[in-house]
Amino acid sequence: MDFYQGRVLRVDLTSEAAFTEPLNLDWAERYLGGKGLLFRYMWEYVPPKVDPWSPDNPVFLMTGPFAGTNVSTASRLVVGAKSPTTGILDDSYVGGSFAPEMKFAGYDAIVVTGKSASPTLVWIKDDEVRFLPAEKYWGLKTSGVEEALRRDLDPHAKVLSIGPAGENLVPWACLSTDQFHKAGRAGHGALFGSKNLKAIAIRGTGSVRVGDAKAFLAEIARIHKEYVLTDANLWANEEGTPILVDPVNGAGAIPTRNWSAGSFDGIGSINSEAFQKIKTGNRACYQCALACRQIHEIGGVKSEGPEYETIALCGANCGMGDIEALMRFNHECDEWGLDTISSGSVVALAMDLTEKGIADLGVKFGDPEGYVRMPELISRREGAGAELALGARALAAKYGVPELAMEAKNLELPGYDPRGAFGMSLAYATADRGGCHMRSYPVADQILEGTRPAVSLEGIPAQVIGGRVSDGFIGQNFSSVKFSGIWCDFWAVDPNQLSQMMRLVWDKEWSEDDVMRLGERIWNLGRLFNLREGIETDTVPGKLIETSGAFAEGPSTGKAIGRETFKQSLLEYYRLRGWDDNGVPTEARLAEVGVDVRL
Amino acid sequence: MPHVTISNKKCTGCHMCELACSAWHEGAYRPSVARLRVNVNPTAMEVKGRTCLQAGCAKCEEICPEGAILRGVITMKASDGDGAAPLSGYVLRVDETLCTNCGECYAVCPNDVIHEHPDRHVAIKCDLCDGDPQCRVFCQNPHVLAVSLRSSKADRELAISQAG
Repeated sequence: MDFYQGRVLRVDLTSEAAFTEPLNLDWAERYLGGKGLLFRYMWEYVPPKVDPWSPDNPVFLMTGPFAGTNVSTASRLVVGAKSPTTGILDDSYVGGSFAPEMKFAGYDAIVVTGKSASPTLVWIKDDEVRFLPAEKYWGLKTSGVEEALRRDLDPHAKVLSIGPAGENLVPWACLSTDQFHKAGRAGHGALFGSKNLKAIAIRGTGSVRVGDAKAFLAEIARIHKEYVLTDANLWANEEGTPILVDPVNGAGAIPTRNWSAGSFDGIGSINSEAFQKIKTGNRACYQCALACRQIHEIGGVKSEGPEYETIALCGANCGMGDIEALMRFNHECDEWGLDTISSGSVVALAMDLTEKGIADLGVKFGDPEGYVRMPELISRREGAGAELALGARALAAKYGVPELAMEAKNLELPGYDPRGAFGMSLAYATADRGGCHMRSYPVADQILEGTRPAVSLEGIPAQVIGGRVSDGFIGQNFSSVKFSGIWCDFWAVDPNQLSQMMRLVWDKEWSEDDVMRLGERIWNLGRLFNLREGIETDTVPGKLIETSGAFAEGPSTGKAIGRETFKQSLLEYYRLRGWDDNGVPTEARLAEVGVDVRL
Repeated sequence: MPHVTISNKKCTGCHMCELACSAWHEGAYRPSVARLRVNVNPTAMEVKGRTCLQAGCAKCEEICPEGAILRGVITMKASDGDGAAPLSGYVLRVDETLCTNCGECYAVCPNDVIHEHPDRHVAIKCDLCDGDPQCRVFCQNPHVLAVSLRSSKADRELAISQAG
């Protein structure tokens, strides 16, 4: 079999059993891989209405067909589950080298069920699967467990692990791999921790077949030259995501001091230029020519990163213009195993509560001392960390100020304030996993230039918020395909280029319409899953859309779309999607886009 | 002979060279049997590339008791540098019909790159891919360019003797 290995590894922690089953090829053809195939497996294998903390709630690791080949950026892994933090689907993407290693070991996917009685590690070497006691690794931070497993198991092993945050079930604990790469959001680290699973380690010595390998190599070399290594894409290597800091700040859209402003007076010390001064090199994910990882060093801290989101949420949002403190905070989150978006948001909320005299949580905007200690305190649930570990919604509610928590469906919002980038309000409200910017990204056309796909808007009427509704719809469909390949978002690939690569896997002509229909199919499948499990209303915190919440100063002064416009946009979005006014997909649309399941 | 070299300073640890090498030689992607290696320590962010130095080293050729490592002449199809002429020189190739998998070359290789093929149980090594090394083809990010071709003294002597 080409591209796919045709095998899914099933691992049950309760019985310490592992077996393989054939990959469902109908599903692979219908949904490609990555996000799409993950959703299909989740529909089938997640027991309806399961308690996310139950041992019966599975965790899925899904690869794409190109993992383990020369297709640049397509080495990503998606970790999927019904999230214990949001109660709906979460598909969390991570680079590094774990997905290719899964393919070389012979697997397209791994499904983990059950719960170990005591700390356990799963060690997979090609066909062999072993359940090993992990007491001696429990409590280790990311670097500790990675180095220990490479020493104890195999120097070439790839590791997917939790830190103490996951062990202590912090709702935004992440999974780490290759030290600096994170399946960050919605608490997969806590899910592993609830299963007593410290890590999965894997080594694969097999092959990924692609038919005529020399012909494939020649085609991919062409694609590299023409589409990947172009001037337009090299920002990823030259600056990385910090390139976003100045434009977003300039538009008045960077969350500042717990979302109380849209631009930060200290931005000059944590923008791309500031990070270039402390940059010492680049690293890459497996099988990626762009090599976007920026290595920075200051004050004894050396890391890949921080990325834009971290600079926004842990920098500007915490009033933190101290680059060394920011680097240290980022490093701490890496080591303890915490998502930086949620960490920055919750710490900023704690700073806000402390400064307003509502609670004394020991942190203040711009003050490095309490700030750099927070990832550890949160991970250990010690001191004020025990309160912060509630998450933004619960912490704010506890103190009677729910309006201070910026989240959607209990997922803390990422680094774009809708008062500076209107389309993000709809993006956050309608993202499939909660407050997320990675599904539709209207920031691209509202603030940046030339990074959105060249997709025709013909036939789709311009609607409220200046056409952003249709952009949101298109963006979500397109990203669904992109994350099924699994191509990295940092490669500005367009549907035509995707279709050229997809044709190599499923040998048929993929028009741009076919590509976008696949995306719409995947998006609808995710929506059905969420409706089945129970999903909150699609909305965002009031202050981000109401005129009363508009900023009084800065580049986005006075801007608010208003609740009525937001409501109309949402209805227009549902209409475009072929959903009813309650956001439920109609039979007609499901049939048209080829979803093979129903509620 | 021309040999492939990896700059550790420039290399980003993406492994595209190993992927391409294995696909070219194996007909499928199998980097665990690539003929050059990049070791990455992700925690320390350290990268170390290992390549065959061909006739500039030749310890495998020297030690092989069966004479299974054969010296041939090769002209590269590509070149590094502005207007530089393509390199030519020696390439060392394994004759698999003569190799007994005795392991002497594996032990003596200073870069630990010649190794046993897991299925055929003979030595495999870098053969410069018919003159257009795939490792180099796939390391083309203009800010990286970590894989390049160098010539050794033996190659330069060959070039002189051929010109004369």
